[in-house]
Amino acid sequence: MGDIRQSLLPRDVLSAAKELLYHLDIYICNMVQSGRQAPQVDTKTLDLVEEFILHVPKDRNAQVRRMSALQELHLLEIMCSCFQEQSRDTVRQLVFSALFSLQGNQADESRMALLGKLVSMAVAVGRIPILECAATWLQRTHRVYCIRLAQVLVDDYCSLVPGSVPTLQNIHSASPRFCCQFITAVTTLYDLSTEELTPPLELLKMIVSWIQEDPRLVLITFLNTPLSNSQPVSSLDVTPLGGLVRWCVKAPLAYRKDKKPVMVNGTGENEQEAGPLFSALHLSVLQVFMLLPNILTEKGLFGRLALLQIESVAALISDLSRLLDQADKHTHTISDESHAASQLALDRLAQALQVAMANRALLCSRGKGSRILNLLQLILSGPVMYYNNIHTPPLSFSPHAAHSPIASHPTLPGHAPHTPMAPHPSPHPQYPAQPFMTGLPFPYRPGH
Amino acid sequence: MSAQKDCEFLVKRARELVSDDPCAAKAWLITARTLYPADFNIQYEMYTIERNAEKTSSAGRLLYDMFINFPEQPIVWREISVITAALRSDSQDKHTQFLRGLFETLPARVQCEMLLKATEQCFNTLEKAEMLLLLLKRFPESVVQHGVNLGETLLEAEVSENVETPVNCFRKLFVCDVLPLVINNMDMRLPASLMQKYMLKAAEFYIGYVTRGPSPDAPIQGAQDGSLKSPSMSRGSQRYVIDGLSEKSSVVSEPWEKLLDILSVVGTRCEWQGDKGQRSYVDMLHRVKELCRYLPGLEGETLSRCCSQVVICAALVLLRSAFLYVSAVQPALFQGVNGMSSGPWILVEDLSSVYNDIEVERGALKHAHKKRKLADGREKTMSSDDEEGLGKGRGRHIVVNKTEMPGWSETLESFRTARESWDLLHSHEGQYRKALSSLHQMAAVQQPQPGQQSPSGQASLEHHRALIQQASCHYALGEYRMACDKLLDVVSGLVPPNYEQTKSSEDSGRLKVKSRKGNDLRLLPCTSKAILPFCLQLMLACFKLRAFAESHDDLSLGHVIVLLQYDWPQGESLFLKAVDKICQQGSFQYENFFNYVTNIDMLEEFAYLRTPEGGRIQLELLPNQGMLIKHHTVTRGITKGVKEDFRLAMERQVSRCGENLLNVLHRFCINEKIIIIQSLP
Repeated sequence: MGDIRQSLLPRDVLSAAKELLYHLDIYICNMVQSGRQAPQVDTKTLDLVEEFILHVPKDRNAQVRRMSALQELHLLEIMCSCFQEQSRDTVRQLVFSALFSLQGNQADESRMALLGKLVSMAVAVGRIPILECAATWLQRTHRVYCIRLAQVLVDDYCSLVPGSVPTLQNIHSASPRFCCQFITAVTTLYDLSTEELTPPLELLKMIVSWIQEDPRLVLITFLNTPLSNSQPVSSLDVTPLGGLVRWCVKAPLAYRKDKKPVMVNGTGENEQEAGPLFSALHLSVLQVFMLLPNILTEKGLFGRLALLQIESVAALISDLSRLLDQADKHTHTISDESHAASQLALDRLAQALQVAMANRALLCSRGKGSRILNLLQLILSGPVMYYNNIHTPPLSFSPHAAHSPIASHPTLPGHAPHTPMAPHPSPHPQYPAQPFMTGLPFPYRPGH
Repeated sequence: MSAQKDCEFLVKRARELVSDDPCAAKAWLITARTLYPADFNIQYEMYTIERNAEKTSSAGRLLYDMFINFPEQPIVWREISVITAALRSDSQDKHTQFLRGLFETLPARVQCEMLLKATEQCFNTLEKAEMLLLLLKRFPESVVQHGVNLGETLLEAEVSENVETPVNCFRKLFVCDVLPLVINNMDMRLPASLMQKYMLKAAEFYIGYVTRGPSPDAPIQGAQDGSLKSPSMSRGSQRYVIDGLSEKSSVVSEPWEKLLDILSVVGTRCEWQGDKGQRSYVDMLHRVKELCRYLPGLEGETLSRCCSQVVICAALVLLRSAFLYVSAVQPALFQGVNGMSSGPWILVEDLSSVYNDIEVERGALKHAHKKRKLADGREKTMSSDDEEGLGKGRGRHIVVNKTEMPGWSETLESFRTARESWDLLHSHEGQYRKALSSLHQMAAVQQPQPGQQSPSGQASLEHHRALIQQASCHYALGEYRMACDKLLDVVSGLVPPNYEQTKSSEDSGRLKVKSRKGNDLRLLPCTSKAILPFCLQLMLACFKLRAFAESHDDLSLGHVIVLLQYDWPQGESLFLKAVDKICQQGSFQYENFFNYVTNIDMLEEFAYLRTPEGGRIQLELLPNQGMLIKHHTVTRGITKGVKEDFRLAMERQVSRCGENLLNVLHRFCINEKIIIIQSLP
């Protein structure tokens, strides 16, 4: 295919790109038709793509060809129809991958820029083949780039153009696979660690409505991925479950973190609106966990595949303890409200872990599992105890202790000597169930 | 038990949260369920939340889980009985509909099992039957196993519960719901005898339902607002509830059609003759009539099968046509019959030819009078001239005023069909005696009890109707004294209306044109305006033959003359015939003459008779005149005095000509009742 370069050179940018796309399509069609095992696009072709579509100069001396905005728009249109008209899935995937697979070179930036625009356009005009290809791309690409693509879409549809959220909402029905990958990317992107990394309310609403409508949506990628196909290192999780659990657990604390007394931009309202959304989302996540045993058993993976990685759970727990820590430090008097928020975060964590474990979405081996369990027990034993113990290695608790009720544990809030709330008559009125909290048995079996 | 306490705590926690944050409540319960999968309360709480939120599919799933995992929990059964009650109920409220929708989300197998178990737990026969019926309707394959048993249970319940009428809740369920399922299920082998039994049970129910009388405790509208003209309007809309059923399920729509449906299925399954689908009752009668012709050539099994077909079909046609006819003629008898358009009617001998010459009709009447039976005076017996009607299939013509009776053609058609089927049943008397006796029983059950028959406003009208009907029958049988006895009872209860001579003569003139040989019947509206003239005509008819007989019967002749005044000059020729007879006799004695004859033409004629030109007829028309004459025949002075009296009486009588004739005749009927009756055989 390299021999067409000479014919492309004299053309103007747009017609050269157009011509190349045309040839690329024919070239890959032939390749697929010849029935070669694992067809591979050669480097020469990739070079042509970089030169005539992404417009990366071939050598230092070469003149930089640029496209006007209008020409670029035209190219995107051509690409859209090119994917739309190609009926064979394999060919589409190979063309997409020839265009957008990251090569680890200087062309990648242009590649990402063009991809962002193409996918954004495909969302706008409902080009399903492109979304499907993009879904595959999101499965094979390093998560950093996946996040960037998600960011483009969120910017385009949630921030840049108000009122365009419904367009993005449609990807749910257009391409569930893409939708699922998008959720995974977005939950990875927004980890609620800072104000900026808190999902916009519109996005949250949209995701909650998607999952409420069809909880299985979050499992689509998992369900469609063959067993043997090992995920590339550092790619996105196969489901957004980990990210969603993180959202729900951290939300009560994150949304109130750094809250300045003067808030005029409506964040307060957002918080009020976000509360029920996270509650619904959390329930949906638990419901998805409940679906898992059947699905895992069908795939022969029950007890063998952890959809919730223990490392991410561990990270979440330490995140949470830090947040609780901060919450305590920042508030001089522990208000009812902040207690309720902490309690809610802990409740959700406990619920998610219990339900995930019961449905074997979270697998606990003897060592790691017990460690997590201990961490958890520490957290659950009360807001004061975690403050005391969170920085000490939790290994001091034996797994056996985990089975006995911790009611005997000296966790009564009033006993914590350093808290400034000792004179408070009833410091934790929202903990009427203290015995329950301490007695909550996690049916963890070390033998499993 | 701490686990128990934890469970309770979790449920409590969820309950606290449910109003503010239902999602959080559910999240707790999901967590709790993974901790204590065997705890019923957790699952029930989950179910309760979904049910209270009326979330059909999720509540359905949870109910399913509970039904599978906790089949012994009383709470589950209470829930199931609430749901099955909703299935049986005809209520349309939102929650009931939700419960029905909830049931629909369950897998068929579970629905089936649930209904069966719910049925087992039911002790009330009716509820149990309704529950089982739900099962049979949803799962046709269960009909084979349960269908006949359910039917028999219902029929047994009828007996054990001592219900008084075939129109009861058990029978309704059996006939309207169970029976169609059973007989339409071709996987079942049903003996012909059983199907015929069921068929008759269905007929008994539907006919009983159709012919139900007005309920006694219904408000009598007529008495309340005095609108006697439309007493049946309130009855038409009157609510009817079968004991044990709701008002809605007490309604049976198109009973005759439903009965026909059952009949055609049973007919097909019993291998009856004729085409498979019975199109209508009339078709059915035709087919059965044809079948009758072949009966003599049949024997054994085939004969008895055909006989059953003939008897059942003909009887049903008879009952239906009789009902249609009677409900038109006597609408007050049945509930739900709209008799607003026309009041009760009486089927009587058509007497429009009563003024005709006696010679013409003497033969015909004699014929018709032979061998008449008098049944209960209301039904059809009196009109079926058995001997002539038989075989010919043609009944006597019935005269009816078409403007007064809007549905006249249907009514007459029903009457004719009823008669035809009656004839058919009678023609094979020997074989059908047994069948007929059961039909009579059926009819007896349907007869409303005398006390509850009709509201008081209607009572006298109904009473008159019965009396006139009987009078007409007695007349047709030649029992004139009985006929007049009944008539005079009626007349004594009437207030004479104003006499409009021209109109009424016009009326009867029109009728006369239409009538045939004087052997016709007529449907007479049961109003006092129509009744009194008919009574007078019937009396005239009773006396006519006698008055003109060879023998010397001045009393009868006198009555005839009095009665001929009505509808004058219709009776002019008969009057002249009477005058001829008087002339032949040379004398005439009728002491009531001046009391009741006010017709100027008649008075003139009689005045003339006494003159030499008139033939010097010996007329004894004054009370006691005869006695005087006998005593003083030789005394000229007295004769002269008598003459003077006669002249005076005549003069006085002429001045009475303007009197309301109906008043005069009414008085005649009342005052002379005893003489009138005694002068008849």
